[in-house]
Amino acid sequence: MMDRIGALSLLAELLGMIGLWRIFTKCGRKGWHSLIPFLRRYEQGICARKESEGRAIVLLEIGMQAAFVATALFKRGSWQYLVSAMVLLIILIPLTIFSLRIYFGLCDSFGRSRLWVILWLLAEWLCAGIWGFVPGFRTIEGYPFDEESAAPEVSGLEVDLTAPGLSINIDRRTAVNFLKTKVLLKDIHMNIPLGHLVLLLGGSGAGKTTFLNAVTGYEKAKAVITLGDSNVYKEYNKMKYDIGFVPQQDLVRGSDTVYRTLSDAASLRLPADMKSEVRRSRINEVLDIFGLTPVKSSLVDKLSGGQRKRLSIAMEYISDPSLFILDEPDSGLDGVMARALFEKLRDIADSGKIVIVITHTPDRVADLFDDVIVVAKDVRRTGRLAYYGPIKEAYSFFGKNSMEEILMSINRREEGGEGRADDFVRKYAALAAGGEA
Amino acid sequence: MDTKIRHTGRLRQTFVYLGKLFRMFIFRNDWKVMPMAAFISGLVSFVVGKKMNVSMEGTLRGAFAFSCICIWNGFFNSIQVICRERPIIKREHRGGLHMTSYVFAHMLYQAFLCSCQAAITILIMMVAKVKMPTVGYVFHPMADLFLTMFLITYAADMIALFISALVKNTTTAMTVVPFLLIFQLIFSGGFFSLTGNAYKMSYLTVSKWGLTALCAQGEYNSLPMTSLWTSMSKMRSLEIEGEKPVDEMLDFITASKRKNELMLQCGSNNQDKRYESSTANVLQCWRNLGLFIAGFALLSVILLEFIDLDRR
Repeated sequence: MMDRIGALSLLAELLGMIGLWRIFTKCGRKGWHSLIPFLRRYEQGICARKESEGRAIVLLEIGMQAAFVATALFKRGSWQYLVSAMVLLIILIPLTIFSLRIYFGLCDSFGRSRLWVILWLLAEWLCAGIWGFVPGFRTIEGYPFDEESAAPEVSGLEVDLTAPGLSINIDRRTAVNFLKTKVLLKDIHMNIPLGHLVLLLGGSGAGKTTFLNAVTGYEKAKAVITLGDSNVYKEYNKMKYDIGFVPQQDLVRGSDTVYRTLSDAASLRLPADMKSEVRRSRINEVLDIFGLTPVKSSLVDKLSGGQRKRLSIAMEYISDPSLFILDEPDSGLDGVMARALFEKLRDIADSGKIVIVITHTPDRVADLFDDVIVVAKDVRRTGRLAYYGPIKEAYSFFGKNSMEEILMSINRREEGGEGRADDFVRKYAALAAGGEA
Repeated sequence: MDTKIRHTGRLRQTFVYLGKLFRMFIFRNDWKVMPMAAFISGLVSFVVGKKMNVSMEGTLRGAFAFSCICIWNGFFNSIQVICRERPIIKREHRGGLHMTSYVFAHMLYQAFLCSCQAAITILIMMVAKVKMPTVGYVFHPMADLFLTMFLITYAADMIALFISALVKNTTTAMTVVPFLLIFQLIFSGGFFSLTGNAYKMSYLTVSKWGLTALCAQGEYNSLPMTSLWTSMSKMRSLEIEGEKPVDEMLDFITASKRKNELMLQCGSNNQDKRYESSTANVLQCWRNLGLFIAGFALLSVILLEFIDLDRR
């Protein structure tokens, strides 16, 4: 009897594998991955566009198999057996939930009724067979893996690293996520002169923050970044004090006073041997620049949104960095306050610094910028350079009248955009190479 | 740029953060943990205090309850301190913050909180007329008691600090706390008889070492055991062939003024080697609590060194 059950289980497993082979092929994945036990589940997650669930299931299955082996090894009734059985039971709950999510995802990817989930859950081998072999079961139009091969080619261009200012040569920035290497950024090259205020434009998830992190050396890419004579990556421990990065959120402790917050930031960022009078004078100077002197004794919690934002910027500016980067400094600010803030940044740039700013409302302050960097997702969802150059020329390059229209033109269709990112990536590569745009 | 520029070192950073923490103590109402400690201590003293260090059962119950409130205080001192400002720490790490300085500043600040809480707990015990230990095994009896309570609170505090460094938000941290508390209560070895591997697991709890130290200082093995007398009193009315032998026996013992002697005898026959009142035993408990403190502080530093890997 047990032999018969074992044989049937094996047969079901084999049928499931063959069915999944076909499903993976339909999804543009490698079919033979269905033969590898844990990888099979991960690929199933990818096909269902539920990659994180696929990853979780692999880990849960490994845990479940280990617990299963443990229950077989230990004597029934022993504490080890009880612990293994308990772990097995606990793992089964999330495993079922994550499997459900993947089955729902498969139904969506194949445009089938969600009632199929019941059959997937009860007899995966049967469902895999039907979905794999019946020709009518195919992925819906616009399924992500159908169009991977058409991404723009690499430009092969590099900029002169000895030029003054900031030189960026990013070949690629990858992230290894579980079993897959994902290219987050590719082929971004530019020289930003000193004294320039630069707008960084791009849709959600285009890789703007990843780009900035790669430029500052915080998350290293396969790249060479130089700031003046210094190589940012090779001399990171020194350079990190010469690069100011203001994050999107106001990450400041509310229970400290403004002066104390700035003075502690100065302790961290300024040279240790700086005389206390010089340090105090620098703190007061920065308080003045950002209009925080009247509230210097106030608790951060009591500040307005604009004041808090200015404090967050001042904390980075205290070390007088050569490269100053701000991630959405105007979020939560009204037009007047935002304009005042960007005018301040213009002054900082005019003092010989490079200032790069991400903003989602660029048009109200577009006249203050010198250049714009446009980063767009290509068809493989990799961040690519679609344009770098003067603001005024950007309008003619994209054939648009505002930054928001430019953004709209590079955003993907499913995000409500025109989906022309790849065209502009190619056009810019041709322009940068000296060819016809 | 000059390559020889020196930035603030670990020691100076420690003091910068220590200053921040003490300002938080004042401005963010972190001082509220002090009255909370007094309130809980008062409650426990009221319930179990009278028999602590008087009888074996009372001492075990009292030691368990007081080590539990120390653990409670320790957990709530620091369970949220790191995870609530995790993005800020990440930003500061990017700007040159050393995690060793950050954790060390927390260790110093939490040591201050825990010592205050231990002192408050003892003060409330004295006010509630809980009998205090009379023998000092390492220092003065009160100093020994203070050190034990401080170490229990501080060890629990460091475990919570580690959890706070491990999790990403306060909700998760607060979800973990009940499980930690249950583990400490069940595996303290004081109330549930543990055998085999379960007993070995009790070595991994702060409560076991705290309970042991408190019982050792309270002369547990020299105290009378009252449970036998109480049980027999409940059986006074038991009749065997028309007679009440238990009632007669208890009357005889009471009349001959040998009740205390009986309870002491009963206690000496039920001594527990784990709670032996000796310098070596107390020092061993302190050492183990110290290992918890150092171990979890180190783990917190290691975890925080990877803060840059946090996803946005």
